[in-house]
Amino acid sequence: MHSNRARFLVALFAALCLLAFAVACSKSADDEADGTDAGGDDSAEVATLTPYKPSGQEGSITGTISFTGAAPAPKPISMDADPFCASASPDAHAEDIVVNGDKLANVLVYIKDGKAGDKNIASLKFDPPAEAAKLDQHGCHYVPHVQGVQVNQQFDIVNSDQTAHNVNVDAKQNEKFNQGQSPGAAAITKQFKRAETVIPIKCNQHPWMRAYVGVLPHPFFAVTDKDGHFEIKGVPPGTYTVVAWHEKYQQGQTQTITVGASEKKETTFSFSSQQLTAEYADGGVLRMLPALEMPMLGEHH
Amino acid sequence: MAETPDTDKLVRREADAPALDPITSRSTSAILLVSALLLTGVLIWSLYDEVYGMRPWKGYQQSYAKRFDRYLKRLQKRGFKSEEEVRKSDEYLRLDAEARAAREQARPKQSEIDGQVKLIDAQLTAISDEFQNRRGRITVASYNVETAADKNKPNLRHNVEQMKAQKSVVYIPTDAEAAHKEKKELTFNELESKYLSLKDEKGRLLGEKGELVKPASDLEKQRDDYLKNNVTEVTEQQVRLLRASAENFDFGMKQINVKGEMIVDRCESCHLGIRSPITIRPADMMPAGRGRRSRPDMLARAFASHPDTELLRIHDPEKFGCSSCHWGNGRATTSIEKGHGENRFWIHPLFAKENAEAGCNQCHSNDRVLQGATTLNQGKDLFYQRGCVGCHRYEGFDRETDALTNTRQLVKQLQDEVTANEHDAKVARADSAAPGVSDERAAQLLARAEALIVTNSQIEARIDQLNTQSRFLMQDQKKVGPNLKDARLKLRKEWIPEWLKDPQAFRPGTKMPTFWYLSGKPDASMGNIVPVSQQDDERKAIAAYIWQSSFDGQLPAQQPGDAKHGEELFKTRGCLACHSIGEGDQKIGGEFAANLTKVGQKENYNYVVRWVHNPRERWAPYCPKEKRDLTPEDYRKNGKEFVFDTTKHTRCPNDGAELQVQNMTVMPNFRLSDADARDIATYLVSLTPPAEYPDASFMDNTALASKGKNLIKQYGCAGCHEISGFEEEQRIGKELTAEGATPLERLDFARMTRLAEEGEQPNSANQEDKQGSGGKEGSGTKEGKQAKPWYNHKGFFEHKLADPGIYDSGKEKDPREHLRMPKPFLKEEWKTALTTLLLGSVGPDGANVPAALFYEPNNQQKDIQDGWWVVKKYNCMGCHSVQVGQKSVLYGLPQYQQGGTFGDIQLGPEQLPPGLMTEGARVDPNWLLRFLCDPSLSNGNKECVSLGGNVGGAAGTPGAATTETGQGRGDMSNRQSGPGDGGAQPHTGAGQTQTGVNQSQSGSLVMGGLKPQPGENRNGVRTYLRVRMPTFNFSPNELRTLARFFLAVSAQQEPYIKQELEPLSDSERDLARSLFTSQAAPCLKCHMTGDATHDQTATAPNFLQAGQRLKQDWTFRWLLDPQRIMPGTAMPSQLFKRDGERWVFNGPLPPSAADYQGDHARLLVRYLLSLTPEEQARARSTVPARAPAPSGTQAGHVASHRQGGGEPRTPAARAAQSVSRLFARRARRIQISSRARPLRWRAREARWRQSALSKRWRQSAAAARGRARDFSP
Repeated sequence: MHSNRARFLVALFAALCLLAFAVACSKSADDEADGTDAGGDDSAEVATLTPYKPSGQEGSITGTISFTGAAPAPKPISMDADPFCASASPDAHAEDIVVNGDKLANVLVYIKDGKAGDKNIASLKFDPPAEAAKLDQHGCHYVPHVQGVQVNQQFDIVNSDQTAHNVNVDAKQNEKFNQGQSPGAAAITKQFKRAETVIPIKCNQHPWMRAYVGVLPHPFFAVTDKDGHFEIKGVPPGTYTVVAWHEKYQQGQTQTITVGASEKKETTFSFSSQQLTAEYADGGVLRMLPALEMPMLGEHH
Repeated sequence: MAETPDTDKLVRREADAPALDPITSRSTSAILLVSALLLTGVLIWSLYDEVYGMRPWKGYQQSYAKRFDRYLKRLQKRGFKSEEEVRKSDEYLRLDAEARAAREQARPKQSEIDGQVKLIDAQLTAISDEFQNRRGRITVASYNVETAADKNKPNLRHNVEQMKAQKSVVYIPTDAEAAHKEKKELTFNELESKYLSLKDEKGRLLGEKGELVKPASDLEKQRDDYLKNNVTEVTEQQVRLLRASAENFDFGMKQINVKGEMIVDRCESCHLGIRSPITIRPADMMPAGRGRRSRPDMLARAFASHPDTELLRIHDPEKFGCSSCHWGNGRATTSIEKGHGENRFWIHPLFAKENAEAGCNQCHSNDRVLQGATTLNQGKDLFYQRGCVGCHRYEGFDRETDALTNTRQLVKQLQDEVTANEHDAKVARADSAAPGVSDERAAQLLARAEALIVTNSQIEARIDQLNTQSRFLMQDQKKVGPNLKDARLKLRKEWIPEWLKDPQAFRPGTKMPTFWYLSGKPDASMGNIVPVSQQDDERKAIAAYIWQSSFDGQLPAQQPGDAKHGEELFKTRGCLACHSIGEGDQKIGGEFAANLTKVGQKENYNYVVRWVHNPRERWAPYCPKEKRDLTPEDYRKNGKEFVFDTTKHTRCPNDGAELQVQNMTVMPNFRLSDADARDIATYLVSLTPPAEYPDASFMDNTALASKGKNLIKQYGCAGCHEISGFEEEQRIGKELTAEGATPLERLDFARMTRLAEEGEQPNSANQEDKQGSGGKEGSGTKEGKQAKPWYNHKGFFEHKLADPGIYDSGKEKDPREHLRMPKPFLKEEWKTALTTLLLGSVGPDGANVPAALFYEPNNQQKDIQDGWWVVKKYNCMGCHSVQVGQKSVLYGLPQYQQGGTFGDIQLGPEQLPPGLMTEGARVDPNWLLRFLCDPSLSNGNKECVSLGGNVGGAAGTPGAATTETGQGRGDMSNRQSGPGDGGAQPHTGAGQTQTGVNQSQSGSLVMGGLKPQPGENRNGVRTYLRVRMPTFNFSPNELRTLARFFLAVSAQQEPYIKQELEPLSDSERDLARSLFTSQAAPCLKCHMTGDATHDQTATAPNFLQAGQRLKQDWTFRWLLDPQRIMPGTAMPSQLFKRDGERWVFNGPLPPSAADYQGDHARLLVRYLLSLTPEEQARARSTVPARAPAPSGTQAGHVASHRQGGGEPRTPAARAAQSVSRLFARRARRIQISSRARPLRWRAREARWRQSALSKRWRQSAAAARGRARDFSP
């Protein structure tokens, strides 16, 4: 009978083991992980940006942008529709392509992405500069024609003309607005909350008036002057994708540039007139359109 | 020999061993052990099942509670940045300060009241016990009086009186702390009055207190609302509360139980976050620790909140449950599969995520467009646009044809009734005259006869109505495919069999499905059911019938046009909203209509010209009564001209039946001039080089044609095409209205059943046969998930759509009985959309939603749905954005992006057609009717003029006249604004006039010529747009439907009664004019004035139309903030600023504004809507005068502007205007004739002419103004 009792005990033991096993198995991943996690968990999905601190080793990117091929003659603008404009800028020309010799002005050069040391530049946080960026309506032109601003930087639009303008900002990622500004009216003050290259601005009353504002999350951008020269200052050492954007070359040009410690890196971009005509002819990228686009009501992603 | 040997008997039996005692010798312990083990096992099993097995949700719930709490903790740790910001904002601080101040102010008085109340409370406490006791006793005593015998009553009454008179001692406190008390002796009545007066006093004080703190609490509420409305993320308080409630998480079954509707859903036992007050995304619920960066696991996805909270708000889960919409087994909780109803025998399995909107269709099957259900809507679009409706009936689709059939039937019935009534009346009259009929009876009979006759006249009125209806319905009836009666006129003969062979090869993506059984290729996957030779024969026969049955005639030859100008027109007039051009990557444009790249390879140029010029122009009218197309001979016989149109000549000359007088196409008429039509056609034809096709002389074989006729019937070609002899053909496919409710076993998977059940893909099996590999990327599966059984509705539909013949494969059957459904071109997402529609097509009986919850649209909702049918039918959304958030096809084209151009032409977003989101609120519906009828507003169509009610009726009034002149010039500017317009074509000038003459002379005799075009080259409102609103030839039915649609969408009342415009006083007008012309808002800089030079750069409509067109309230709102109505509009905002209750102009104010106390925006609205041409001229003349004097040449320009702006209304001035218009027209003609010359020459010439012209024009205008001045006082 001994053997039987032993067998029974073994069976009971086995059963208990089974039970224990079942209980153990049911302990979920949530429990075990919770202990390790309970301390400092700074949200899994919210990307936190590290504030950027200059190290003193900053370099810069400088260069010139040249234009090859025959530069198109600047198109004269007829400002007859508004007598003020006609008198203020008697000999006005379009600013879409400003070429001086073989140098191209009004090109926005900016760092698109890349790594500053071991940190991705997108993971760094740059405070907006204290001084405001300014867009002036002067002589029925926007001054400056092309500029870069930083995210959340104050952006003042002033009208120094003796005629009314309206500022139609056709942003895609930022809030769009269209406000009239009469002579002497107070400055319109805005901020762009998101990076967006490049936002076109126009005046519907003076259709030739166009300006372009590139909104960038960092201060590493510059616009070429009339000699096609630019300088991006204070660039932390690293390897970057640098884009040169021009209103007639919406795709822009891209280069990968490595900046060493305190290095003044020289580079050049070149736009050609041939490319221009090609882009003109296509009217940009052609693509097939869906019959209809309707956003889903309250879709959250 | 089988007997028993005797010897056996001799064998001695051994003595029996003593029987073993079962109790001692046998042991049952083994059995017991086994049983015990079993029992333990079962116990453990049952315990396990109790805790985990049957209740998997328990584990999930624990997991949820932990994950959710962790998420909330994370939120708290992250801080509430936006809340902090709002708390620091000036507005919040202001409100907070005000609220505090108000609170503070009320405090002394409040505490005083509080003290009084406290005292009263103390006093009440002191007497209430005594009072209530005594009242109780007295009530009892009174009751005793009532029930007592009469003789005892006086005695008892006396007792009661005594009780009342008895004095009781109460100690009433004199201060709130009850430190001092006053002793009082009170009778019951005194006690009662004291008690009541205290109560009253307390109520009064509390009311006073409420009044007192009201301002403060109002301000506090304002402050809290401000916080709530401005905080974009969750607030700290919310999270705190949630955490508190999460700590007491109630583990257990969560169930929705709607008793009346038999809904029991336990889905939320696992999907715990579905209705969470704060949004939970799957990423928020990721398991902690490991794998933080990986994708959310299954549980995280299950715990997320519903993706559409708005949807849940409308469809409260407490009322609808979950499984009503999503399907699945709402009661099952033992496993995920069971809960989701993924079981062969559960008839409502959960809809797959991509098909989730199928559930919506259960209740919303009659909605053409369901807000938010993108996939379902697309399914419905495709069902209609891709021609499914040609073969398959689906309730609601193809409404005109259904309605037409009904109407005709009804007319027939009513006509029979009329005949019967006539007969009965006759009988009654005869009976009344019969001998022996009493007078009374005779009178009765005669009255009856009379009644019958009158009834008949009523019926006849109804028949008239129905006949009109049937005309409208015929006008609105469209076909998906082109009219094949035109085959001979239109197509290259040899191309037809090539096309039939494989339409996708010729035009990728075309609507025409591939009739694989005509392709002439063996199809192994379908077991070669139709032999190749038979396929070839059938194709030839069909081609032969189409060719031989179509109209025979000669189209007038057209001169070639200018392809470059044609391209410009094609790409700027709006053709791309429906049509695409280019192939592969180069493809651009919409998908609503055909890709036109290869038109030149199939079509006859003369036909294309005619089609582009007016696609509705039919070759010959069709008579449904005689069931044939009429010929000029029919007309001649009856002495009538061979003229047929949608308005006057709709009846058959032979028998008066309503005719089909249009091509049944949705393509509208763009009111192109003859030359423009030729240019576009030339461009289209020039896109591809001519092609060669094999000889097709067999198409003239008549024997083949009669065979083809049977085949056309068999394959249902007439579902989509108009084909001679098949006008009344019925659909050949299965009705799909309730296809999703078909029991699974009735869906014939045929030999696919096994594969479907095992989850194998049919084509992968084939590929394995051929190559032995590559089964994985079978085209049918998207996810590549293997071995997922598809023996369900979804699988059936998806595979059928991908390969309609699939369920024939491997079958032995007669070739004539093969499945006939052709293979449509469908993108993957289209298949999903159509599957969604089919899954949701369950009819009222198949729905899982209780019938009581079905959506029943009310009046305006119904108007909206009716309207959607029309809007979708004509693809209005190709050009307009009709719905908030919807982007038109044109919107996406590169030339309409910011700064977009086409060649030298500036386009960009300003050149997009207007958005129609608020159209019903914007425009006068009467005007809208007229505009929709004739978008050129040219008064060229008589029936449209009368439509506009007061608008059309006022043809002689100044208003109407101005519209016309305005357009006259707008038209001109339209012409001029297109640099290529009237472009380079050598001999059109002469050719055009000649054909024109031809037409007008011979009129009806020449068939197929280009007819005059009312409103040619005119845009009605926005003449500055290059895109043109075409004429759709809507029937009055559709016009009404559309007008009602727009009204309903904007919640406007119907019928519309125009708001009276308050007339302006002189001073008001002066002020309004100075605002109108203010430097801060120079309206006329962008808005058209009717002056051609000015309008070249205009980007907004003419104000002269505003009075008829716009509604006051809308215009007011528009002036205040146009961006709210149409984001991205060229009209700037912030023209007015708030000043107390009124809006004041936001700019330098003229001195006269100081006296005006009214609302400036309202004033401007009144000014705009009552603007007359003289007033406009006056306003214009003030503008340049203010500007600094321009230099030299520009002065001249300005002067001409100013003069051009004058729009005098006096007769003399009008004459002058017509003269100037004449000049302009002449200039146009000159331009046309100069087309051939080199560009530079032309430019120079034009400049010269313009200056000469403007000089002449200026002179005549000046003269006119002079005369006008004489007329005016």
